[in-house]
Amino acid sequence: MPAELPIAIAAPNAAPALDGMPVLRVDALSKSFEKRQVLQAIDWSVPAGRVIGLLGRNGAGKTTLLRCLLGLSPIDSGQIELFGEPMIEPGGERMHRVGFVPQSFDLFPWMKVRAYLDFTAAFYARWDHALTARLLDSWQLDPRQKIGQLSQGQRQKLAIVRAIAPQPDLLVLDEPVASLDPQARRAFMAELLELTRRPGKTVIFSTHITADLERADADIALLRDGRIQFTRPLAELRECMHRVILSRAEGWLEVPPIAGMLKANIKGHEAQLLVEHPDIENLQALAVQLNASLRIETPTLEDLFVELA
Amino acid sequence: MKAVWQLWLQPWKRMPVLAALVSLMWLAAMGMYLFSVDSEVDLNAAALGLIAFGSWFWHIGQGQILRELCRPESFLMPDFLRRLTWTAAIDAAQWVLLPALLSGLLGLPHAWLIAAALLCVAALGLVSSQGRRAGLLIWPIFIVAGWKPELAVAALHIALQSPLTAPLLLLVAVLILHLSLRPLLRIDDRDIETSPLESMSLDRSNNIGGTPPPRGALSKRLVGLFDRTSQRALDLALRSYRQQPGARQRLTLIRRLLLPHDNPLAIALRLTWVAAFVTIYFFAAIHRQHFNAAVVGAYATLLTLGRFPQLGRGMQRIRPNLADLYLTLAPTTHAQYQKTLADALLILVPISVLSAVAYTLLGIALTHAAEPVRMLMTTIIVTSAASLVALAVHLIGPESTLGRTLANIVVILGAMASYWGGYWLIGALGYVFGGGLVAIIALSFGLSVWFAGQREYQRRKPSFDAPMA
Repeated sequence: MPAELPIAIAAPNAAPALDGMPVLRVDALSKSFEKRQVLQAIDWSVPAGRVIGLLGRNGAGKTTLLRCLLGLSPIDSGQIELFGEPMIEPGGERMHRVGFVPQSFDLFPWMKVRAYLDFTAAFYARWDHALTARLLDSWQLDPRQKIGQLSQGQRQKLAIVRAIAPQPDLLVLDEPVASLDPQARRAFMAELLELTRRPGKTVIFSTHITADLERADADIALLRDGRIQFTRPLAELRECMHRVILSRAEGWLEVPPIAGMLKANIKGHEAQLLVEHPDIENLQALAVQLNASLRIETPTLEDLFVELA
Repeated sequence: MKAVWQLWLQPWKRMPVLAALVSLMWLAAMGMYLFSVDSEVDLNAAALGLIAFGSWFWHIGQGQILRELCRPESFLMPDFLRRLTWTAAIDAAQWVLLPALLSGLLGLPHAWLIAAALLCVAALGLVSSQGRRAGLLIWPIFIVAGWKPELAVAALHIALQSPLTAPLLLLVAVLILHLSLRPLLRIDDRDIETSPLESMSLDRSNNIGGTPPPRGALSKRLVGLFDRTSQRALDLALRSYRQQPGARQRLTLIRRLLLPHDNPLAIALRLTWVAAFVTIYFFAAIHRQHFNAAVVGAYATLLTLGRFPQLGRGMQRIRPNLADLYLTLAPTTHAQYQKTLADALLILVPISVLSAVAYTLLGIALTHAAEPVRMLMTTIIVTSAASLVALAVHLIGPESTLGRTLANIVVILGAMASYWGGYWLIGALGYVFGGGLVAIIALSFGLSVWFAGQREYQRRKPSFDAPMA
């Protein structure tokens, strides 16, 4: 069992909620499949009007968490509140405000694209028909084709159209771009950014493509060991996390002790350390003391993910 | 109302032929009611029968559509349940209330009873399509009717007069609806799919659109038991292959992969399980008048041939997974790979024969059949030949659903005709000459079809494309 991250965890809803109430609040959520515990007493809060990038390694439980949040998977214990109401099962008027793109879209393969969208649109109070038509056209989805005949990428496009068209206040995306080609991914991100520009729109976005989260300037939530380890704005992460590289000819037998160190690797002559809020003066003094050269870099989100997840 | 309309349209989009036929039946029944108003000919009872018959089929279709529709993601659609309830209310008005009301207005007695009975029929139709064991609730009625027909008739007369019958039927309908709808409307983690080539006899229903039917606790335990036998059989096959990596051991290993529930322990378990249901069937049917014990063998053959249509469907669904097997086996030629698959699946023939023999023996014991040897001999010969034919047909047969269905019908009708013909011939010419003749004709035909089918299958290039919807 890996150790807990020695990180100064910010308050779960570090970003202030627009109307003072989080869109989503999770208390002590636990979920297991048979004997395998996937989510362990998760406490999490998602403020309105933010894009949240949910990161975690394969099998960390991202899909399970997202499905539990929407009531699509029964939970073992804990409480979920969606738009201020307990989420015991999906239902009620708030469902008009939720859009969801599942990891794999394998629904209704016998239906034609147009029939499926017509069917779904009939349930929603706010369905953007113009947006649907525009996206079908620009993403080259043939409305006369059956869903079962679509490629995985086309199905994902359809799932995105279906999720965005009701103009949801909360959009939950479970690895939505995994099967998309670069053009489609870029087009999707443009639509997503357009959506998030409107006030009060919240997006929870599980992905491994960290560049997309950087583009969306997302708050990053890291799921590890069945818990949300932290939720912090990307800019804040960039500001406080640095890679400190100490280099000397004789190499390193052990990692030099540094305050705020989260992770350390020794690679040849270099000791590469991920440090939170590094004190530059102290580091320079340490480098002189250890007869090493000092380099400080700002890691990319992908670097941070690799180090922390 | 747009959403309710869309929900109501689903049978027309998904099963247009069934929807059209059943709607015609409904319209014909309504026509009969109208005809009865001005005519001296009373067609009310016939109209009611037609409604009940149509309702049964309509709700089987509705049940299948519900199974496809009620996935967790669907519940994210606003007011999905409320709109589904509205659609159900319209359905009940069409198939229960309106016919009952018309029957009452046109002079048929027991309007409430008719309404409750029609609701029961609708509920039974729904439950039949769910693969739920609640569908078996109808069996006790047949069993009682078979054992004591006079008692059943007397009970029916008393029931017609009793004011309690309608509420009781209503309660039964509600119970059946509860049992059939509850798993659909409950959001649960999706069951893990079994091999597409697996026999569906456990679930008593097919996967729809690749979605396994929702399983009850008993089914889950049973599947768990089967999975344990599969794991054990795979471990044994692996151990054997590591000790002696020969062609036979390799074939066993492939079989354990493709047909995990066709290991000896699982076969024994399945036979026991099916035998329990066959026993119930016999208890229901044995006391019917003019019961022909020889039908047992035909039924056993029919039961075992039911495995092959699933194989045909599964061979399409499993294609993408077979790419991995192809790369693992690294065959020299496509034909070699195709031959390996055909050889691996050939094990289904002895398994089918074994199953048919077991079911026939059980039937013989239950019915105290007069000519057990004749039945067994016919079953063995016909099932062997029919299994070979069915396997060949499903390896190289048509891709379309309609084509496969037609091929299935031809195979099953052919097998049934062969069974009765063989049974008669053995009776007429004796075990040696009759049996020999049947064996020569049936097996030579079966083997010819199999070798031709196998040759054609080897000639074809393997396909790893996912089937189209």
